[in-house]
Amino acid sequence: MQTALKGKPPGARGNVWNKIWRSRLLYLILLPGLIHMLLFKLLPLFGLVIAFEDYNVIKGGIHSIIDSKWVGFAHFEKFLNDGYFWKLLKNTLLLAFFNLLFVFPIPILFALLVNEVRFRKVQRFVQTVTFFPYFISSAVAVSILYTFLSPQGGLVNVALEGLGIQPIFFMAEPGWFRPLYVMLNVWQLFGYNSIIYLAAMTNIDPHLYEAADLDGAGRVSKMFHVTLPSIAGTIVIMFILAIGQIMTVDLDKILMMYNPSVYDTADVIQSYVYRQAFATKGFPNYSYGAAVGLMQSVVAFVLVISANRASKKFSDSQLF
Amino acid sequence: MKTKLRGFDYFNIVVLILVSIICVYPLWNILAVSLSDGIYAAASKVYLIPKGWNVETYRYVLNNPRLGVSQGLWNSFAYTVVGTLVAVILTFLTAYPLSKKRLVGRKTIMLIFVFTFVFEAGIIPNFIVYKSLGLVNSFWVMIIPNAVNTFLLIIMRSFLDALPEELEESAYIDGANDLQTMWKIYFPLARPAIATVCVFYSVAIWNQYLVPAIYLQKQSLKPITVVLYNLIVAGSKDGTSLESIRVHGVQLLPQNLQAAAIFLSVAPILVVYPFAQKYFTKGMLIGSVKG
Repeated sequence: MQTALKGKPPGARGNVWNKIWRSRLLYLILLPGLIHMLLFKLLPLFGLVIAFEDYNVIKGGIHSIIDSKWVGFAHFEKFLNDGYFWKLLKNTLLLAFFNLLFVFPIPILFALLVNEVRFRKVQRFVQTVTFFPYFISSAVAVSILYTFLSPQGGLVNVALEGLGIQPIFFMAEPGWFRPLYVMLNVWQLFGYNSIIYLAAMTNIDPHLYEAADLDGAGRVSKMFHVTLPSIAGTIVIMFILAIGQIMTVDLDKILMMYNPSVYDTADVIQSYVYRQAFATKGFPNYSYGAAVGLMQSVVAFVLVISANRASKKFSDSQLF
Repeated sequence: MKTKLRGFDYFNIVVLILVSIICVYPLWNILAVSLSDGIYAAASKVYLIPKGWNVETYRYVLNNPRLGVSQGLWNSFAYTVVGTLVAVILTFLTAYPLSKKRLVGRKTIMLIFVFTFVFEAGIIPNFIVYKSLGLVNSFWVMIIPNAVNTFLLIIMRSFLDALPEELEESAYIDGANDLQTMWKIYFPLARPAIATVCVFYSVAIWNQYLVPAIYLQKQSLKPITVVLYNLIVAGSKDGTSLESIRVHGVQLLPQNLQAAAIFLSVAPILVVYPFAQKYFTKGMLIGSVKG
């Protein structure tokens, strides 16, 4: 037996139980990862049950999930009838929409320009520099934003003063929240997001450009008639994936950037859930917060799955 | 090919230089302000070059425990080193068996991983579970819960999957078992993937804000991101966190003290950036193209 199997990995032959038994060491290696998944991924999913209960915060703990009173869809009814929920939904979608409007196309334009640079070193340098903001934490990015926009000597306000405009307290103006959030995201992401397009551009057949040269096409014309159509597939996939992510806001950034004076535009579903549980002056309402959060997760899930399906249709590549 | 530069090239280079400046200038300005005398900083007279050059600001920020900057930096460093080590090992150990086609149930297990990645329980159910596990105000909340990231697991698994199967077979001919094969053959070969995953985890842990903001209330456990937020954003609301004093003939004001704190929290990223950039690009291309 031992000699007969020599030279074959254990588990390469035989029936299922035999296979499992012979791969027992592999399962042992997998065990820590499985336990981790059970504790930190699956157990919280079970915890979502509290969205249908009146979770007892005072008792707390996992066992309280089982003890608490079942209330069915009461919390869902409550927030669907609450005008503030619709405001949160509107804020979430608007923030995501404006974000997509700028964060999506800018990396494509940027990649087109970088691709036209003829000197490798310049290309490299520009990429290295523009890639950097991606590595900065939201805490640092927001801190820099604060110091630049400060009404007391922040450089932006100094410049405005130079133009004869009164200083603006940007972080306290509801009208400035969305533009600032989007600007910060563009700043942090455009270099990183352009990588995928630049990679796609290096795979374009050089003959296409030669053919365009014969037709007397100029540089700009080649950019839009050769380069851009050649990466159309990548653009479509990235767009579909971006749509799938539309419910996902950058919670870190929002929590650090917002304050009660800008809730009107800045408060989104996730920040509201956060406050319900961790930043309320009164009694934390876990069940209600979890119900709102569950709603968000379900919508986000459906969007991501549909996006993945769609991208499968367009090409072989997909997220998972 | 034509090598003559045309109008378009000049336009293009100017645009790209402007874009590059926009990316670098904010941090450059912060560095210049942090090295300036507070008087110039408060009067907004520092743009490119420090005025009243000094390092007193850094000395003060680092030696003043009340601000919590040095403690925060040290905490973040500890979280990043321990967290990355644990995460990389756990991710590799999970990815390895899942890359073997003979593992019964590997598709189902992978599907569960992907499902939990796409369908999030949310911060409240997480909190209830983590609290029961004793992770509130614990060092380990920064290490354990995010030790297996599904995206990085997929990167690692695709890499291991792409290695030739003959490697394994020849190891078994020599009488090695699964553990020995993994450790002696696959682990060294997986070095590029391990480096990529390492970079992703360490940057993510260093930049982590939400988890410590929720779970770490003890001052002695707070990472630099939370300290920075309290110092600059929350502190500026009540104006109490930073004072203005004179040290060794240099005026320290909130402006240059804040700048020093900000720069200190990016400095480690700057140091590892050249290395990190390379592997980040790799990871992103593996992750989003091949998936």
